[in-house]
Amino acid sequence: MSQQNTKYVLPDEAERHRLLQSPLDGDGLMLLFEAGLIWLTTNQAYVNSLNVFPVPDGDTGTNMVLTMQAAFKEADQNRTKNAGETARNFAQGALMGARGNSGVILSQIWRGFARALDHYETVDSELLMRAMEEARNTAYKGVVKPVEGTILTVIKDMTTGAQEAQENGASLSSMLVKIVEAGDASVKNTPELLPVLKQAGVVDSGGTGLYYIFEGMLRMLRGESLDPSGAILRPLAELDLADAMETVEEGQDYEVVIDFAPFPGFSLEQYYKDLEGIGVSIQVGEGDGIYRMHIHTELARRFEPITYTETQGVVKKIAMENLQDQMDSRKSKEVELVLTPVVPGQIAVVAVSPGRGLSSIFASLGVAAIVEGGQTMNPSVQELVAAFENLPTDKIIILPNNKNIILAAQNAAKVSVKQIGIIPTRNAPQGFAAMLRLDPEGTIEENVESMSEATWEVHTGDITISTRSVEIDGVNVEKGEVIALFDGKLCSAAPTIEGALDKLCEVADMDEVERVTLFYGEDLKQNQANQLAKRIQDKYPDVELEIQDGGQPHYQLIVAFE
Amino acid sequence: MTTQENSLGGIYILTKAIRTVARNAALQCYGVISLSPGNVGESVSRFFNKESDYGVIVVTDEDGISLELNVVLEYGVRIKTVTDLVAESVKYAVEKTMAVPVKRVDVHVRGLRVSNPD
Repeated sequence: MSQQNTKYVLPDEAERHRLLQSPLDGDGLMLLFEAGLIWLTTNQAYVNSLNVFPVPDGDTGTNMVLTMQAAFKEADQNRTKNAGETARNFAQGALMGARGNSGVILSQIWRGFARALDHYETVDSELLMRAMEEARNTAYKGVVKPVEGTILTVIKDMTTGAQEAQENGASLSSMLVKIVEAGDASVKNTPELLPVLKQAGVVDSGGTGLYYIFEGMLRMLRGESLDPSGAILRPLAELDLADAMETVEEGQDYEVVIDFAPFPGFSLEQYYKDLEGIGVSIQVGEGDGIYRMHIHTELARRFEPITYTETQGVVKKIAMENLQDQMDSRKSKEVELVLTPVVPGQIAVVAVSPGRGLSSIFASLGVAAIVEGGQTMNPSVQELVAAFENLPTDKIIILPNNKNIILAAQNAAKVSVKQIGIIPTRNAPQGFAAMLRLDPEGTIEENVESMSEATWEVHTGDITISTRSVEIDGVNVEKGEVIALFDGKLCSAAPTIEGALDKLCEVADMDEVERVTLFYGEDLKQNQANQLAKRIQDKYPDVELEIQDGGQPHYQLIVAFE
Repeated sequence: MTTQENSLGGIYILTKAIRTVARNAALQCYGVISLSPGNVGESVSRFFNKESDYGVIVVTDEDGISLELNVVLEYGVRIKTVTDLVAESVKYAVEKTMAVPVKRVDVHVRGLRVSNPD
């Protein structure tokens, strides 16, 4: 659809003024729908990020956008001045294009909305209130036991907002203000109603999506930007700088991040506009009155954002990184793995490995094939089957090395024509322990038994940084804290890696442990790992210590206790 | 019934347990109003026992489970989308809670409930 490629142009002052004079006709309604769609699209990534573990899909935002797009397209192709018909076309499009659970609910909301408008040529505030009531009723009819704290609660609270506005004799636009206010409060309250949301530290995604649709309508009426590249201020926590590395554009070699306190009279829109002349990937966040700006620029212009920002506020902190250099050094680390050649008729081992260092350890232990995959990038059944089929032997053992991959391995084993043995290893150290017991000339059954046994002898600790605030297994974790997991169970949260490691060693019962191996991840440097190892050695002088470059993403450390 | 092995012994999951998981997963899908008896046997057992887990038929063989769900939907939802969701959520819920591969889910729409005729 055209909206995604071309910049959305706000209706001009005169047009908005006309819209604000209720009642709305079909064209006015279309402008509202379009603004809702655009603003939802702008916030799609954020809505997607609100998924609750362990629900598998984080695509609520996408589903709602696709549903709204289908709805808008249908109404756009059959444009009419009649508001009732416009709403009916819109609802029809939503019904046909409904994607995902939230999309189905959204289509029901529009269906109810349209039914209230049926046979009316224009919409005034009273009719808008009735449409909201009908939307709410229809949405609630689709489910036997409505769960509160979801999109249903949000449409209900928005309707209450509309009713209150109507009692006070509000105009159409001030009713929309009430609806958006009520929606905002309702979304923020969802964690109080639905414990899984509270535990995961998020608000409901579907409800948030619905809120953005109505907020978009209001922003349009107020003449505020709806464009994703436009001047939008996000809470600092939502600034997504992590994957900036993957999206380096040609010629934009430097990443500049500046924290500053803006002067009075600072204009965000102007700031964005001026930065657009300097570089790309512009993001601005705010927290406690301090603004953080992020931009990619070319080599020659890397100081311009600083000079410019100094005219806009008091610069507190500047960080600059040469992205090109980082990309180069990353590439040079990709070494060829030397895998063990397979003798037909003997057993070959396939290991799933999350990092290049771990892969080379597996290779050195005699693995015949490596499939890349781990915590957030599970290999598909097809990839595993392909790995089996490519080996010139019909007896294969697989080490999934992650609990999320065991099921895929089982499915792959069923699909493959070869004889497959699965060792249910939940992490790389268990995989290493199992490899040491491999007897390539034995039978699959014997090997599965002895290798599985070996996995019980090693305990594993993982150290990583929490991506959000959450409470699991009675441990309270703040976003950004270092957390330690022992055999997959969360055992502590601490502000530093050292603190988490100390806790981990306590839980691991070091009296029983003979050897500790630290596999440091890609986010940790070797000398940091050495210092951590020394710390353990000082505390527990009797254990044997080993340090390995694991190269795994996300996990700063994987610790094997044997 | 499905059988799994761990280092201590066997684990047997009865069809009734699988039915309960599948049934709850289906009922949590937006648009699903109820389950409906899928065959004569289920209709009879529903007549005598109001609590029975009708609406889900489970067939197990050595390479996994096949499920058949009989559902009643709300009139006005897009049936294709809702049935796709039912199949996906049921497969996910059963595989997640029981670690048994689900190879097939058939969804039969036995009826629609009309709350609001258009």
